[in-house]
Parts: sequence; C-alpha cells; structure tokens
Amino acid sequence: MSTIRLKGGRVYDPANGVDGEARDIGMRDGRIVALHPQEEADHEYDVSGCVVMAGGIDLHTHIGGGKVNLARMMLPEDHRANRARDPLLELASNGCCTPGTLETGYRYAQMGYTAAFEPAMLAANARHAHMEMGDTPILDHGAYVMLGNEELFLEMLARGEDFERIRDYVGWSIDASKAMGVKVVNPGGISAFKFNQRKLDVDENHVHWQVTPRHVVHTLARALTELGVPHPLHIHSSNLGVAGNIESTLATIDALDGLPGHLTHIQFHSYGKEGPKKFSSATRQLIEKVKASPNVSIDVGQIIFGQTVTASGDTMRQFANADLGSPRKYVGGDIECDAGCGVVPFRYREQSYVNALQWAIGLEIFLLMDDPWRVVLTTDHPNGGPFTSYPHLIRLLMDKSFRDEQLARLHPDVAASVDLREIGRELSLYDIAIMTRAAPARLLGLADRGQLGVGAAADVAVYREDADREAMFATPEYVFKDGRLVARQGRLEAVPVGGTHFLETEFDPGIEKTIERYAQRHLSVSYRNAKIGKDELCSCANGGALLACKVHGRLGGK
Amino acid sequence: MNATAQTENPPPSASAGQEWTCPFCALLCDGFRVESQQGGLKLVGSDCSKAVQGLASFGPVPAAPSATVDGREVSPDAALDAAAERLAASRMPLFGGLATDVAGMRQLVRLANQRGAILDHARGDTLMPVLRTLQDRGQMFSTLAEIRNRADLVVCIGTDAASNFPEFFRRCGPVDEVAFARRTVFVGASAPAGLQGEVDEVALHGDLFDAVAMLAALIDGRRLPAADAALGQLAQAMRASTYCVVVFEPGRLPAQGALIAEAVLRIVMSLNRKTRAGAFMLGGADGLQTANAVATWMSGLPLRTRVGPLGLDHDPLQYASDRLLQEGAVDLLLWVVSLGPNPVPPGTALPRIVLGHPALAADCAAAGTVFIPVATPGVNADGHLFRADGVVTLPLRALRDDGLPTVAGVAKALEERLALRRLATEGRP
Repeated sequence: MSTIRLKGGRVYDPANGVDGEARDIGMRDGRIVALHPQEEADHEYDVSGCVVMAGGIDLHTHIGGGKVNLARMMLPEDHRANRARDPLLELASNGCCTPGTLETGYRYAQMGYTAAFEPAMLAANARHAHMEMGDTPILDHGAYVMLGNEELFLEMLARGEDFERIRDYVGWSIDASKAMGVKVVNPGGISAFKFNQRKLDVDENHVHWQVTPRHVVHTLARALTELGVPHPLHIHSSNLGVAGNIESTLATIDALDGLPGHLTHIQFHSYGKEGPKKFSSATRQLIEKVKASPNVSIDVGQIIFGQTVTASGDTMRQFANADLGSPRKYVGGDIECDAGCGVVPFRYREQSYVNALQWAIGLEIFLLMDDPWRVVLTTDHPNGGPFTSYPHLIRLLMDKSFRDEQLARLHPDVAASVDLREIGRELSLYDIAIMTRAAPARLLGLADRGQLGVGAAADVAVYREDADREAMFATPEYVFKDGRLVARQGRLEAVPVGGTHFLETEFDPGIEKTIERYAQRHLSVSYRNAKIGKDELCSCANGGALLACKVHGRLGGK
Repeated sequence: MNATAQTENPPPSASAGQEWTCPFCALLCDGFRVESQQGGLKLVGSDCSKAVQGLASFGPVPAAPSATVDGREVSPDAALDAAAERLAASRMPLFGGLATDVAGMRQLVRLANQRGAILDHARGDTLMPVLRTLQDRGQMFSTLAEIRNRADLVVCIGTDAASNFPEFFRRCGPVDEVAFARRTVFVGASAPAGLQGEVDEVALHGDLFDAVAMLAALIDGRRLPAADAALGQLAQAMRASTYCVVVFEPGRLPAQGALIAEAVLRIVMSLNRKTRAGAFMLGGADGLQTANAVATWMSGLPLRTRVGPLGLDHDPLQYASDRLLQEGAVDLLLWVVSLGPNPVPPGTALPRIVLGHPALAADCAAAGTVFIPVATPGVNADGHLFRADGVVTLPLRALRDDGLPTVAGVAKALEERLALRRLATEGRP
C-alpha cells in the first residue's frame, strides 16, 4: 500500500496537544503513521505555508431523512442555480440550504470535512435516513435516534415501569435503528402536540401521559450513561425560539442532575425577555451555568443572514412559527406514534431586531465560553444557515475587525447595545481545530478520528495560510479521506462511499416482548421489520464500511 | 376482509407460508404470508384484491425468459450491448415508468446522469397535484399508526379508499384499548361495506371542487349565503373532533386536482389552529413514492427533472412523459416496470428500451425495442420500497429465485457499458 507524506506544514492537533508545530504527517493504509525522515514516500506533498488539521467533523447537521427530503421537494427555488462541476466525478445535484445528498458530500469534502452526523433520525424513518447518508459521498456518517416522544416510552414512564426496563428499551432502540446516539427533541412535546397541547415547560405535565420533560430528560440521560453510550444525550430543549426560554434551558441542565448532556443549537434556547421588544440575550446566564456544569457540552446553531429553511422534529414549535415562513409555506406531520416533523422556510434578516440579536447571541456564546472542548461549531444546518457558511463563521470568530464590520450592518438597536461589541476575543487556529474536529470526535467517542496521532484514521485537511480566514477555510489545498486524496483546491479528486458509524449496545432481550406486543396493538409495521440488521444497513448505506462501536454499560459485557 | 376494521395486526407466525411484504400497492402490508404452490403463489391471511392480482402475474417458476432486440431473442449481454448503443446515440432520452425499488432508482439516476435523461414516473400525473401544492403552500400529513391510535373522525374526499387500497381501513382501524369512537365520512363517494364504527356519506351538490371549497370556507367559520347543510354539519364535526384525518386519492383527482389538494391543506391548517388534524394521501402506486424520494435526495429536485452534465432542470409541466412523447421532444424512451406487468410501456415510434416484468415480452417484440426482463422486489428479488406516506421504508424479500436480474443490476451494467464506450471514443471514462 502506498505511503503519503505531508511535508513542512504547521500542524494543529489539539487531541495530542500539538499547537501549530512544523512537522510532517505520514499516512499508510488509510492510517496516520510515523514515517522515518529518510523513508521515501510514494507521494510527497510540500505543504509549507499550510496548516494541517484532522478532517472536520460536524456533529449536528440535518443531511438525511424524511424532513430533509420534504424540504428539498418543497423548495425547488433553492435548486435553480447549477454550479460548474467535474463531469467525470460529480453527478448532477444542487441546492444551497436543501442540497441533494450528493451535493452535500461534495461540498463538505471540498471544505475539508470528512464526517457528518444527522441528529434527528426517527426510528420509523431510520432506513430512509441511512439510505440518504449512504448516498452522501466521501463523508463518514451516523445518526442519533430521536427518543422521548414515542408513545411506548411515555407510556412506560407514565406507568412507573422499572428503570432497567426503560434502559433496555433505549438500548434496543439504538440497536434496532443502527444509531450513534440518542437525541431528545422538545422532551415529550412532540407527543403532547398530538394531544393538542401547545406549550410544555420543563416541569409541566404532558396533558395525556402526565409526565414532565424533566422526567424524560433525566431518564434518557441515565439510560445512556448506564448503557455506556459515548455521546451524551443530545438535547433539543423545551420552548425553542421562545422569548424567555433561558429558564427552560437552565432547568433542563438541572434535570440532568450531573449526568452528561449535550445541549444542541443552544443559541435558539438562550433568550431572555427584557428590553423594549421583550426579547433579549441571555448569553451571560447561559455561560455562567455551562461553566459551572462540567457534565454539559453545547453546540451553537449560529444563524447566518440570508435564505434558509428550518426543519425540525419539534412540531409543536414549528407549527407555532408556520406563519413566519418566508416564502410562506409549511410542511408538518405527525409520525407513527414516534415523533413528527415540521419544515418552515426562513430568511434571516440583518435589519430584523430578533434575527440580529440571534446572530449576536450565537457569536457571544462561542466567544464567552472558556472551554472550547465543550463547544462545537454548528449552524444546525440548515436551521441557522447552510453548512457552506462555516468558513464565513470561522472568520467572524477569528477576526474582530471583520466581526465589527458585520455588526455595523445590524438593526441599529442591536448594533448599539449588544455585549458582542465589547468582546475582543479572536479564536485561534487551535480553538477552531478543537471546535470543528477534536471536540466533536471526543464527544462522539470516536477515538481514532478528529486527531492526527499515529494510528488515527488518515482523514486530513490541509489549508493554505491566508489572513482572510473565510477564503482559507473555504478551499483547502488538499483533503484526504482514509488516506486517499479526495479534494485539491476545491476540486474533487475521488468520490468514495463513506462509512456508517453506529453503536452495538447491550440490553436484556426480554424487552423485545414488550415492544413486539406494543407494535402489534398500536403500530402499522410488523415487529419483524422493526429492526435493521447489519446486512440491511449495508445495502441501505450503499455498501459503505460499517463502523460498529461496541459499548459496554452496566451489564458489563454479559 | 376487505375494507373491514380489525383492531390488531395479525401475529407474525399465524399460519403456513413465508412472511411477506407486499409490493403491489403503496400500503406495503407486511402482516400476511404467501404460500408457494404448484402453479404459483397464494396469499394467506387476506383476500386483498391487489395482492391476489399481483401474485397471479407470477405463475409457475418459468425458465428465465429471454431478452429480445427488435423481437429477436438474444443473450443478456447482447441485449445490454444493444441497449447501451441506443442510449449512447440518444441526445435526450426519457426515463419513464420508474416502477422500481430504491436500489433500482439509485442506479437509474446514475445512468440518467450519463445521458442527460429526463426522469418521470408512469404515475407522474398523479404526483404533480400533490407536489405542486407542496411547492406552493406545503403539506400537513398524518401516518397510518397515528390514524389508528388517534383519529376519531376520518373524512374521505372523493374516494372510498378501499377500491384501490383494499387494506387501508384495516391498517388504520382504531385500537381497542384506546377509548375513542371512530366515525368515517365519505364525501362524494360511497362507503365500502363492512366498515366498523359510524359511517356516513355526504352527496355532492356540484363538483368536488365546489364541495372542498365550501367545506374549507365553513371550517374557516365564514357565513355562506347558500351553504350545503350536510357539509355544514360535517364542518362542525371536523372542528369538534380531537384528531380529524382528511383522506384523498391523488390518482382519482380530476384535471386541475392541485386545487383540491390545496383546499385539503387549507382545511387541515385551519383545523389545526384549534384542534388537531392531518391529511393522508392514498397515492404512490407502482413505486411512485420510491422513485420520487430517491431522485429528490440524490439530485435535490423531485421527478420531472432532467439530470446530466449541465446540471438539473425541473419542470412539472413540460417534463410529463405523455407530452414529451407526443411532441417528439425526446429521442428515446427507457421504460422501467418491475413491480408487475403494469404500467405497460407506451407505444411510440421512438427507440424503446424496456426493463420489464417477463409478461411484457410479447408487447415488447416490435422493431426498435430492446426488452430486458427483470425481477420484482418482494417476489423474486430483495429490495426496499417507500410507503404511501413517504415516511416508512420497508425491506422486501424474494419469495423465490427466477434467475432474473434486478433493475439495479441492469442499470449498472448499462452505465458500465456507456463508460467503456466513452473511454473508447473520447479517451476518458
């Protein structure tokens, strides 16, 4: 197998404490290796003047599944432009906020990303999600199964089922859907909306099942801890987008009671209700709480001005915002006693007071949080903005004068008052490498990704140094996936099929009887089709590598 | 048990035969079994006319029928060569039919990319009212299990549902232990026999367009000068229900049916201001949902899109198969029909390549036609299909092996041949 040497680059590899040292990186058989300086490599790339990082990892991006596909169908206007492409390697695929899966893979790889995770896979729609991810080329992928709104789970909670049984159910769900983690969306709220409840606070009862979001969050977080699932419970908290929702967010952190939790797109959950518009930044309250809660990690969900579409499982909140759609259209669905979906196109405007403040809040969170290992860079693609705006976002974080220029364009009341004006911090390349590689890998339990140590997967991005960080991060000089050159200066070089990350959990199979009986009485699919086997996953995922991760929880491998 | 409500899915090991997921309508029933008998395949556990009829098109295991080129029997390789040659000569092919599974559609999209083909489904005309409503205003839907567990009122607009989807009412029959009574109302259609719960019919005074427009206005609470009394009562019942589901069948909508789909959306959105409701579309026959879903996720745009080296071009009106063929706007038809012998390929003077059910051999023996028999997912091949709601995807398993290639296999072989031809003529793959 051929060897590759990247010679003379400055390496940023926070997982191994490497901060901009000039050193060579060797690759062989898809892995990082130590090459002796005298050893001749089959391919040597002079990367002096370049920055070398592990391939980027997006741990929260809506890249595949039912609601994403509905968003594509709903927005043909997002697909009018056809960019020039390489006819030998690229198939026709386009879109900006709702790209086709092929376009998603091409564009992520062209930016130096090598893995992306779909955060909201419905169990009822899991095959479809894996199919779309399988057709997202180059990137490795995985998904978090949405739990906490299925009627069976809520029923078990309501009747006071033994925790161990619920834990087994969670283990089974991860295994059956071939998930990499668990996400809870508006805990209990998607189900409550089916019973016509329009609001659900953290300590409020679900109108039918009489359980609270606090109970749901705590139970799921405990189950994942006991199952040994590496990624903390991925939490889309109650009251997304509502003024004053900081109270729900703080209460959700309290509900974890010290258990690991990842609060996602936290920007959308960090609002106060002060000021003339009864809508204000609650960044400082949030940061104080997160700093004091080492069990909590976050990703931001930065908004980016311009057209996008919001696609979420949170039907309760999406329906409430349906009238704000721009263009004015709405897709919503109640799905299989499992969860739901809501899609609202949206245009974030600089001159909107609310949008301007949302923009500032997101940046404040990045800049005020002292521990980059607990902050992941996301726009919650496409909800805050398309993932293709990451280079722009990186420049906003690394370049105070650029940030000030953008700030000056905002709604004047926001531009004149936000804390962001006073924040002088500029993130370093080391910070960026943490937030876009090392931290997401660590939060997902991917020991051999997001880093460049010997033995790690040879997913590598090489960026040519440029004071304009947006230009620098938009078009890496070279991108390698598993040791194979996949992109050079923004052009694709190869289009391999990515692999699927998923967990193999341990649980007492006795739980299957309960699930089977429930399926027979309430669902519309036979129990024999409730589980995705490994062979089936392989065909869904287009024959890509199956990157199974065995986890051992309290059952201890029994 | 057509059209009857039953409260529990049949237990999986109820009787003899193989477990089966039915590919013959978009409900993808997976609770029945099939027995292989001398002479064919027999449905066990249901008398669904769609499934019975579908299985009847698979007789005793045949010797794999031969491919033909212009009516001459040829080897599989020779048929692929001829098809590749005709595809390579085409400047604007239409890939129609598209009655195939996920794997088949994935490969057809790749193949279409090679030749800049337009993709449309045999039932494209029934997709467009729904798609255009989605593109203009949106959609608010419910799924089978939600209806089963929640819907106290089901309103079927312009369809009895059971004629084309015989198992529909069984699949969404109310759950015993959840305390609610189900009422089913048919607007402009007759109720099928044997339905459980309260069943009513509302006759049309005027056409379906008038009825849905009036119903929408009544649900909005508008005062109408000459409101139909029965529709008025129905509107009141819909507003009073806890979870109302409005069912319609895109395949039965009259011309300009998008107006009805839009009115249904308006009704459902309006109901959801105060109570809960959703629409359920009984569509997606012949793999329509599957073809549309796969084309959309790969390219970003739904069917009636041209995909190729110049990018994508989507046109729900211009890129209708009938129109393209009538106007001579395309120069080749590749027709895919693998889920049964229907829909048959349209007759045309253009060169045709048909990847089809073996029973189509006789129809495809004309000059200018390459016929390649293919397997049917769920009968003699594995595969995946999307259900009518577009949410649930189920695996299909072969009941037997008839030695036929899959659509995916044939499309891949064609793609490889085209790449080799390019390599030979242009020096690049």
